Amino acid sequence: MTSARLLESWRVAGLLFLLTTGGCLDQMPGKPNPASRPKLPSEQTDFQVLFARSCSGCHGADGKLGPAPPLNDPLFLAIVPDEVLLDVITRGRRGTPMPAFDRRLSGTLTAEQIQILAEGLKTHFKPTLAGGDAPPYTGELSTQPSAEQIARGEKLFASACAACHGDSGQGSGDEDTAPGRVNDPALLSLFSNQALRRIIITGRPDLGMPNFAETDGRDSDFKPLTSEEIDDLVALLAHWRGRPQQVASNMGPGE
Amino acid sequence: MNARLRQIGTWIDRRLGVRDLLAHTVLHPIPRELESPMGWWYVFGSASLTFLLLQILSGVGLALVYVPSADQAYESLLYLDYEHPLGWFLRALHYYAGSGMVVMVLVHMTQVFLQGGHKYPRELTWCVGVVLLLCVLGMFFSGQILRWDPDAYWGLAVAGSMAGRVPIIGPDVVHVLLGAETIGAAALSRFFALHVFVIPGALLFFLAIHLWLVLRCGVSAPPVPGQIVDRATYDRDYAESLKRGVPFFGDAFWRDALVSALAVIVVVVIAAVLGPKGPTDPPDPTLGGANPRPEWPFLWLFALLSLSPREAETFIILVFPLLVIGVMFAVPFISNRGERAPSRRPVAVLSVILIYTTLGVLTYLGFTAPWSPRMEAWTADPVPVEIVKRSTVPQLVGGSVFQYKNCRNCHALDGVGGRRGPDLTSVGTRLTRDQLIMQVSNGTPGGGLMPAYGKQISPAELSMLVDFLVSLRPEGQPAAGWATPGPSLGAQQAAEPTYAKQLPPPDAS
Amino acid sequence: MTTAMNHVSQAPPNDNPARRSFLGWIAVVTGLVASALVAVPGVRFLVGQRRVKVPWVNLGPTTGFALNETRLVTFDNPLRLPWDGITSQTGVYVRQLGVVEKGDPQFLVLSVNCAHLGCPVSWFPQSELFLCPCHGGVYYADGSHASGPPPRGMFHVMWRIRSGELEIQAPHYPTLQDTLRQPT
Repeated sequence: MTSARLLESWRVAGLLFLLTTGGCLDQMPGKPNPASRPKLPSEQTDFQVLFARSCSGCHGADGKLGPAPPLNDPLFLAIVPDEVLLDVITRGRRGTPMPAFDRRLSGTLTAEQIQILAEGLKTHFKPTLAGGDAPPYTGELSTQPSAEQIARGEKLFASACAACHGDSGQGSGDEDTAPGRVNDPALLSLFSNQALRRIIITGRPDLGMPNFAETDGRDSDFKPLTSEEIDDLVALLAHWRGRPQQVASNMGPGE
Repeated sequence: MNARLRQIGTWIDRRLGVRDLLAHTVLHPIPRELESPMGWWYVFGSASLTFLLLQILSGVGLALVYVPSADQAYESLLYLDYEHPLGWFLRALHYYAGSGMVVMVLVHMTQVFLQGGHKYPRELTWCVGVVLLLCVLGMFFSGQILRWDPDAYWGLAVAGSMAGRVPIIGPDVVHVLLGAETIGAAALSRFFALHVFVIPGALLFFLAIHLWLVLRCGVSAPPVPGQIVDRATYDRDYAESLKRGVPFFGDAFWRDALVSALAVIVVVVIAAVLGPKGPTDPPDPTLGGANPRPEWPFLWLFALLSLSPREAETFIILVFPLLVIGVMFAVPFISNRGERAPSRRPVAVLSVILIYTTLGVLTYLGFTAPWSPRMEAWTADPVPVEIVKRSTVPQLVGGSVFQYKNCRNCHALDGVGGRRGPDLTSVGTRLTRDQLIMQVSNGTPGGGLMPAYGKQISPAELSMLVDFLVSLRPEGQPAAGWATPGPSLGAQQAAEPTYAKQLPPPDAS
Repeated sequence: MTTAMNHVSQAPPNDNPARRSFLGWIAVVTGLVASALVAVPGVRFLVGQRRVKVPWVNLGPTTGFALNETRLVTFDNPLRLPWDGITSQTGVYVRQLGVVEKGDPQFLVLSVNCAHLGCPVSWFPQSELFLCPCHGGVYYADGSHASGPPPRGMFHVMWRIRSGELEIQAPHYPTLQDTLRQPT
């Protein structure tokens, strides 16, 4: 009788020990979290992660204060068409430092991930039209601007841009001080006309450049730029850039 | 009950006849000096042995689930980690007890070496110990392959490429290693067989010899300065000292048992807190950006290889490990007699310090691996905000070009980014505009670390990039080459943009 | 049993040394033959290599490759073992180099394995460079060595065109002395 009871109590104690140690171990921090199950880069669908991996290098950690134009810019997001975002992420902007991200173009993202990024930009960084109307994202960008258009552009440049960028876009004189020269053909060759138009419309709020309507640093009688006026400015910049050519700069050897 | 058990034991031993042998083993005399606190130095060997037992048990457990087949291995590891009760714990335990075994074997060897235990007449014990160390390292390497993730797959690739450098028979060695034309199922099976049959078999065989030698040659007494090992007298003196000896089953045994138990507890806690290692992504060879790291016992060799000049590589891969092993085997013959006390053996002590410092530094470098580019840095590592804020328009574009041309993969800014090349946060204070153009266009002369970007970058991009690079200098520090701020070349070039005439507008079409 | 043992112990001692050494000699030779019979097939099994005619892999019509654009093409390597799983997936970099005269276009097909230690290189179209993640080996678009530790350029994969489709010779794992350039 006693020995049977002893045996029984040993069994209970043993079971308890197993259960508690087993149970304890299940609470330990070393237990892998199912959420951290390995995920292929191509299966990543979180906008924040995708943005950090693919965009923050040039556009900044929060989508602003990077060397490339900010994506976290309410005005930009308000005017940019969805299909443009999708297309530019997919194929990049040839000849500019905006690369193609589609895997089929040696990028790193799947079509689905590009979709997530393009849509996520507008849902994560809220688009707002601060002052009501804004010029449309795309304008009439002629490849062969007329002399009159360039002349109009020069006049506009004097009133809208020269205060910071110098009378002929040469900058403020000292090369080391912002904002520096913008009349450099090499510099302009790395901007598409569309990108120039976009920057004139949105400015760079993160770096203090006013948008198409703001008056900071401009004459007091400055009127917001119209879509046509922006075209004229782009025409001037395109004129400074030099004559157009057909082939992009980075197509590699063999061309 | 007791009497009955005794009866059964007697019946078995009548036939087996091991009672005397066991008694001899357990009660074999060891020098009386081991009862002093010095005896605590003698516990590491048995701690290694305890870890070995733990490895066998946990390894058998893992083998109940793990599938050593290239198409299933990864899934079975995930099943262990996430589905099977405490599968994750067993994996973690197997990894950390294995690590503990390497540590204990190294500590054991170091202790033996420092206290002159390898000297006459225990040379063979040492040499067999070296074989055991190699077995343990072999277990570690083959075990990493069984964790069938990209690290394992590309680790095999690296091992294959290394083996392929063997003169003449290289390709055959690669084939024996991989078992097939490509890396895959055959290689995994080979390493499974090594990990589960071949190396453990060898390990147990040599362990038996090692223990037999320990029994036969006896445990060395703690060293006493001035007591010289002399072949003519040692055996007699040692036999004499054993006459005053104490049985192993006593303090020595309980010390071993206590330390072993503590070591197991430590490993269990570490395993429970840190959890299993990997697997990372599935072993899909078409996933780019793999960066296989060897397990920690090999990181020092990995670092040495990565830091050495190209000409020395094949030597370090093929000859150097053999040299190290040869030296380890030679140790008891190089220092065979004389003093055993570390206080009288400055060269030995200094060598140990030197070796461990070197291993430590190299291992640290192996962990940080500054020679590996960061493949995603160009899109993932932001240009530091401070730099952006003070940049002119050309410098901003240059910053984009810097990222776009993948410079960041090798060059850090403010410590973030690749570290294959120098950090460029203050490159503007070191190199002038002309020097930067030369450096970027031509790369490191003679096929050094940096590729020539001359054909990889357009003149416009180069111009902007250099604008950006010369601006990279801390506030108030002058640019390289200019005693006082003078007219910059950038301005001159901008004024005379002949080269830019050939530049296209990016999206004119 | 006891009888047998007694019988053995009572047998006259064999004191014919010649006969004993002859038996020993026979035993040794027979043993050697037996060992060889096991060892030779055993070693051949271990180091043996199956002989297969290297298969060709179809990568699709040549028109699917844009001129001077490098692309990673992945396929299931026919050199696989049936239970290779995902590890039989293999990648090569393909670049169409254009039509030299008239006829089919020329191609450049490169193995992803770095010539240094076999890690998978990545193609960066932005800088037109292949970059190895392990030790920073760099190659130009044509596969030639640009910088870093690799002792040579990238491994070229054999290719041919059959009725307008690009085919490559299934690549084995290439190493310095066993490149992908042998004849079929």
